[in-house]
Amino acid sequence: MSDLSRRQFLLASASGAALSSAPALSYAADASATPKRGGTLVATWGGLEPQALFVPAGGGNSPFFTSTKFYERLLKLGTDLKFHPVLAESVEPAKDFLSYTVKLRKGVKWHDGQPFTSADLVFTVLQYWKPISVGVPLAGLNAAEATDEHTVVLRFTQTISEFAFKSILAGVGGLVIPKHIYEKGDIATNAANNSPVGTGPYKYKEWVRGSHVELVRNDAYWAPGQPYLDRLIIRWWRDPASRSAAFEAGELHLAVFNPFPPPEIERLVKTGKFVAETGGYQNATWQTYLHFNTKNEVTSKVEVRRALLQAINRKFIADTVYFKYAEPGIGPVRPSNELFFNADIPTYPFDPEKAKKLLDEAGYPVKNGSRFTVKVLAPAWFEENVKTGNYIKQALTDIGVKVDLITPDRATSLKLLFTDYDFDIGLTNNGTPLELVPEVTMLYTTDGIIKGAAFRNNSRYSNPKLDEVVTHLAREVNYEKRKALAHEFARIANTDVPLLPLVVNRSTTVASKKVHNHSNAANYTGESWGDLWIDS
Amino acid sequence: MKSLLFRRVRQVIPLILAVIVLNFVLIQLAPGSFLDVMSSDAQITDPVMIERMRATYGMDQPVYVQLLKYIGSVATLDLGYSYRQNMPVLDAILSRLPATLLLMFTSIALAFVAGSAAGVLAAARVRTAWDNTVSTIALLFFAAPGFWLGIMLTILFSVQLGWLPVGGMRTVGAATDGLAGAIDVARHLALPAISLGLFYAATYTRVMRASVLEVARLDFVRAARARGLRGTQVLWRHTVRNALLPVVTLLGLQLGTVLGGAISVEAVFGWPGIGSLLLDSVMSRDYPVVLGIMVLSSVFTLLINTVVDLAYLKLDPRILAR
Repeated sequence: MSDLSRRQFLLASASGAALSSAPALSYAADASATPKRGGTLVATWGGLEPQALFVPAGGGNSPFFTSTKFYERLLKLGTDLKFHPVLAESVEPAKDFLSYTVKLRKGVKWHDGQPFTSADLVFTVLQYWKPISVGVPLAGLNAAEATDEHTVVLRFTQTISEFAFKSILAGVGGLVIPKHIYEKGDIATNAANNSPVGTGPYKYKEWVRGSHVELVRNDAYWAPGQPYLDRLIIRWWRDPASRSAAFEAGELHLAVFNPFPPPEIERLVKTGKFVAETGGYQNATWQTYLHFNTKNEVTSKVEVRRALLQAINRKFIADTVYFKYAEPGIGPVRPSNELFFNADIPTYPFDPEKAKKLLDEAGYPVKNGSRFTVKVLAPAWFEENVKTGNYIKQALTDIGVKVDLITPDRATSLKLLFTDYDFDIGLTNNGTPLELVPEVTMLYTTDGIIKGAAFRNNSRYSNPKLDEVVTHLAREVNYEKRKALAHEFARIANTDVPLLPLVVNRSTTVASKKVHNHSNAANYTGESWGDLWIDS
Repeated sequence: MKSLLFRRVRQVIPLILAVIVLNFVLIQLAPGSFLDVMSSDAQITDPVMIERMRATYGMDQPVYVQLLKYIGSVATLDLGYSYRQNMPVLDAILSRLPATLLLMFTSIALAFVAGSAAGVLAAARVRTAWDNTVSTIALLFFAAPGFWLGIMLTILFSVQLGWLPVGGMRTVGAATDGLAGAIDVARHLALPAISLGLFYAATYTRVMRASVLEVARLDFVRAARARGLRGTQVLWRHTVRNALLPVVTLLGLQLGTVLGGAISVEAVFGWPGIGSLLLDSVMSRDYPVVLGIMVLSSVFTLLINTVVDLAYLKLDPRILAR
């Protein structure tokens, strides 16, 4: 134990308390040291190469990880859970919350030397955010006007809360793109998506497909002295074992978002040359969900859903499948969400005897050896899902339910889960930001039922009362009232339990001790890393 | 020889047609389409957009129309467009092909030379400690999966000894041309080529050993000995040359299948070749790329087999007579 630092100790002894106090751990230990200029840093993440360096519609974490190094957003969410200016100097709501005034940073240039102005933001809002990346949360937006070179006013037909609006500006879909590059042709297929021109600290140099992308210092960057690195290389490895070998050989310095399984993390940390960091994911926590198909005969009954949940030991999944790098899920709002979590909702603690009793009462006694058969689909895109699926099969068999478990590959799983709805119980994994609308709420609302769209309401649960609460939640501007609505949303959701997070995953960054000032934002995978520096 | 070439050329078209139809049917049978993956990859939730993509990629048409259209475009040397690579399929394949060819030929050459030599050694010293050692090592490499061997070699040579790089094809940002560039690529190539090559070397060793032992029993070898030729002369001039035939057959077959082995080795070493492209494309149901690779590799296999047939003629001129 003596060779483990306090941080690693907390990591190893993962408890609920440690996770909810994650923000306190999240700054790099040596933020006060004087940054050194120069050097090349090689970074990777726990997934595969993206299909383009910038995918306008979002595209998940892989393109987000690359695109945020050259494109920037108006704001960023710090580990203090406050918004800090990036391309905006300020974003101020009007008194009625029907418009927001954005003051842009002056003296910012695109990588090709063109000035960044309000025209770029107006173009981005109207041609990119609204139709492509964040149309749902910006549904009420109806105008974007440039009042001068560096000021834009955004007008809404319905109110939008300051936290929700700023979350969009600081979120995955809030990147600002250059008008003079994107105004010709289709944004989705623009060649610039593979060789971008941004405002960020790093400029695109070369992309060797199947291997890496090379980014170099933007000498004209607006933040004085930044970036500290001469070069940032983002490399992709298909195999987690090669990622950890690359770390040990000194060819990789920083790996975000779960680069390898927990036992390997602990082995690397024990060498004394690396740190494991769980900060930097407050706004990007992953949860593993269990979805019931509410249109299938047995799982459409809420009594059955509640009984089945009580047969599954979520703590066992967190401790065994995730090596304690997760904690049991409670409801739609995760416990680490300091803004909206409320423990006072119906819960379904592990109690197999009660589960049996509930199923007997619901009219499903054991007949000819079993009560009924359910088809459990555990998508094999994460190996942990397959293990969880196997555990669920065992747990449900124990209470007399027959289980057909299938664990198809990614494409098959996506089709069965979101296009064909061919499952009784399905597992999925979703990222959950602090703001609930729309990512979290769309898993429950009627407008989240979209055939063929992945990671939406595939339980096909529909409750007008819940829909109404969510509509109010989206429009309410008073924080206390929003909090009450969020609690109401969680209460209804957990009463009907069409789905439930089985576990809240604990994401990890692994870094060489040479790397300084990392993990210092609420979603570090998508930070621009201009303030990152490395020992020569 | 001319008739052989003519026969091969005549085979190309039905072969490619068969490859296309067979693979197209197999792909249609696999559940999940690239529309599912694409909408998930791009996080598209708008039903209108999903419909538009279905039409854009021709997936609203009956399967046989899609097949006929594909055959038509291949006939005009157009392999289609890859949504995932964001470029024409041919460009995507060609940009990855050199890396795979380099890896393939290096590892097969390594395997052929090392494997055959070890086989001859084992046969020449049959039932001695030499034979036992060579056979045991060959069995070990034959049984060890390529990716496992790759990881073990990486841990030894890159992590522990620090002699060779962990992965990739070039040092990022270092000189890429001239001698320095070639040495850099060679250093990156060493471990993947060895881990892929050792498996094939093991097969060559075993086949070569058996083949040499068999030929050594034949009359003309006994006759050569009776004429008083020295042992090494008999071995190299008479035995090995004739024993090479089955090994060359194997070589031809393996050049066609080495792509399969390359997939796992490319994954372990981050080698930017066709293998990882194929794996990516199958996982994301990027059919145009999968079909394109299949079509090109079938042409390639046919080419290799023609070359092997020509090599037979050289090794054993009697073959022409049959």
